[in-house]
Amino acid sequence: MDLFLNLVASGLVIGSIYGIIAIAFAVIFKTTGVLNFAQGEVMMLVAYVSWSLGTELSLSFPVLVIVSIGVAALIGIIVERLFIRPMIGQPIFAIVMVTIGLAVMLRSLIVIFWGADAEPFNAAIEGGLVEIGPVVLFTEQLFAIILFFAIMTAVFLFFRFTRIGIAMRATAMDETAALLMGVDVRRISALAWAIAAVVSGLAGITFAIMFSRAPDLWFQGLRAFPATILGGLDSPLGSGFGGLIIGVIGDLSEGYIGQGLKEISGFIVIIIVLMVRPYGLFGEKELERV
Amino acid sequence: MRTHHFVETYEKHIALSDNPVTWSWTGLLLVALVVFPFATSNYLIALATTVGIAAIGAIGLNILTGVTGLISLGQAGFLAAGCYTTALLIADYNWPPELALIAAGVVSALLSLVVGVPSLRLKGLYLAITTMAFSFIITHFLLYAESVTHGPYGVRIEDLGFLGLDLASPIQLYFLVLAVAVIAAIAALNILRTRVGRAFTAIRDHDIAARVMGISLTQYKLSAFVISSFFVGIAGGLMAFQFRFINVDIFNLLLSVEALAMIIVGGLGSVAGAILGAVFIVLLPEATREVIDLLPTGITSMLSTYIYEIRGLLTGLTIIIMLRIEPHGLIGLWRDIKRYWTHWPLSV
Repeated sequence: MDLFLNLVASGLVIGSIYGIIAIAFAVIFKTTGVLNFAQGEVMMLVAYVSWSLGTELSLSFPVLVIVSIGVAALIGIIVERLFIRPMIGQPIFAIVMVTIGLAVMLRSLIVIFWGADAEPFNAAIEGGLVEIGPVVLFTEQLFAIILFFAIMTAVFLFFRFTRIGIAMRATAMDETAALLMGVDVRRISALAWAIAAVVSGLAGITFAIMFSRAPDLWFQGLRAFPATILGGLDSPLGSGFGGLIIGVIGDLSEGYIGQGLKEISGFIVIIIVLMVRPYGLFGEKELERV
Repeated sequence: MRTHHFVETYEKHIALSDNPVTWSWTGLLLVALVVFPFATSNYLIALATTVGIAAIGAIGLNILTGVTGLISLGQAGFLAAGCYTTALLIADYNWPPELALIAAGVVSALLSLVVGVPSLRLKGLYLAITTMAFSFIITHFLLYAESVTHGPYGVRIEDLGFLGLDLASPIQLYFLVLAVAVIAAIAALNILRTRVGRAFTAIRDHDIAARVMGISLTQYKLSAFVISSFFVGIAGGLMAFQFRFINVDIFNLLLSVEALAMIIVGGLGSVAGAILGAVFIVLLPEATREVIDLLPTGITSMLSTYIYEIRGLLTGLTIIIMLRIEPHGLIGLWRDIKRYWTHWPLSV
């Protein structure tokens, strides 16, 4: 039983990271219809910049987080302006391919700029142990779970109650109608990219603190795909919970079935899920008129 | 002045080419490809062999993604399946290489059915992710099913012959690859001008409309998967012949992305485009290396440390630039140039 609970707990920790990244995927997909294959790389870039800021300027953790949020938003806006904005009007396939090209490019640039070595990411939240019943967690692991729920709440409130959030939902529903109602549709796309960069960037920083700042950080972006597919590409909250499910399934299968399953169990799950519900667990079925 | 090229019968319209000029240029190109290895170094021959193998794979992917519109990010998986099938059948089961090569295509095609069946309900991005998931699962299986696949140790095959050719010799391997590539190109061109090929295009342009016109989506989407993966599997088998030591590490996501880059750069939906794209993407890192060697030594050594990253950087950059400047690919560029010359001086 203790093993089970500990596996669930560690699954929830990594699942929180997947969930946060999955929210980032879903925010961009919902508002622009583009699946951003470069999300993991954007996340990695934010984490690397944040690492450099943290080590060079030796900022305290809360300040570092606030600065990183600003940096991440800037990165999101720049990437959108340079690579995505010029592709507006092209088929979705072309834009998605641009994000794939961008992913490969960013990954290489980061290694060329920062080198291929892993470095520890030291932050104030590191170190202590927290015991919750039979489950023992590091503080930074607990931080990941708390961050997940904080971001989930923030995303929910943002899309539900703020003016911009409602404008984003309106754009997602019908771009032309939103335009006619006075929504600046182009700015919405930039905003979606900025939000996604901030959200995934925070996940990247947390992951780097838990493990290290390493050049394979982008791979967490791919691991979050199953989460967002499971939850539905157009549902940020669903994607978040998808992350938790994928994380727990991963750790349980690794613990009980076989070594190495952690890495692919998510992919196996989504193939099964997609056979039953091709639009994800919480996604909306797309009606098509001919 | 030449006006347009007109055809009068349906047979002529679907013929590969009714233009003797095209036929003679193609013939000349083939002669050049046959003469080429006798005039160059082993290094260039090996490079040409790699291009040939990549071209076969790209032709296969183009049938699936370019013609039928089913995006696959799992080419590395199918390629790995083909490559391992050939290598294992030769190394562990003493199959003749000829049969092992065909088996590579068959195994890859059968595996594609496993991906194809769930993909019938999926569209676009969901499909891309499913194929990517499958490629991860395949490489994971290859790495962990050690009793069958040798796992992390890789598979080594000894020197072997193929229909009397000695594959240890670069020239003879080159001729084998050239022959297979020519067969693959002709096969693909012929598939595309039949009912099957037109059904693929119809599915790409609008699958519901295609269904209304009496095209069975199940049947044709699955055939696209099977045909495409057969090509890719054969390419994988040839890779086993070329490397003779294979390891699961090379079948990573970058390989799948490079495969997509080939057909985007070359031109989606065109056989000649796939070949051009394969040439471009394989030669791009080589050309870069030549350029880097010309730079001062300090920069050269710095850059050579990151040769893998530079390759990724160039692949990514090429995809982005091609999509923005010339979405029809190199083959589209070629058509534009040709049109310019035929219409000169009235061309715009």
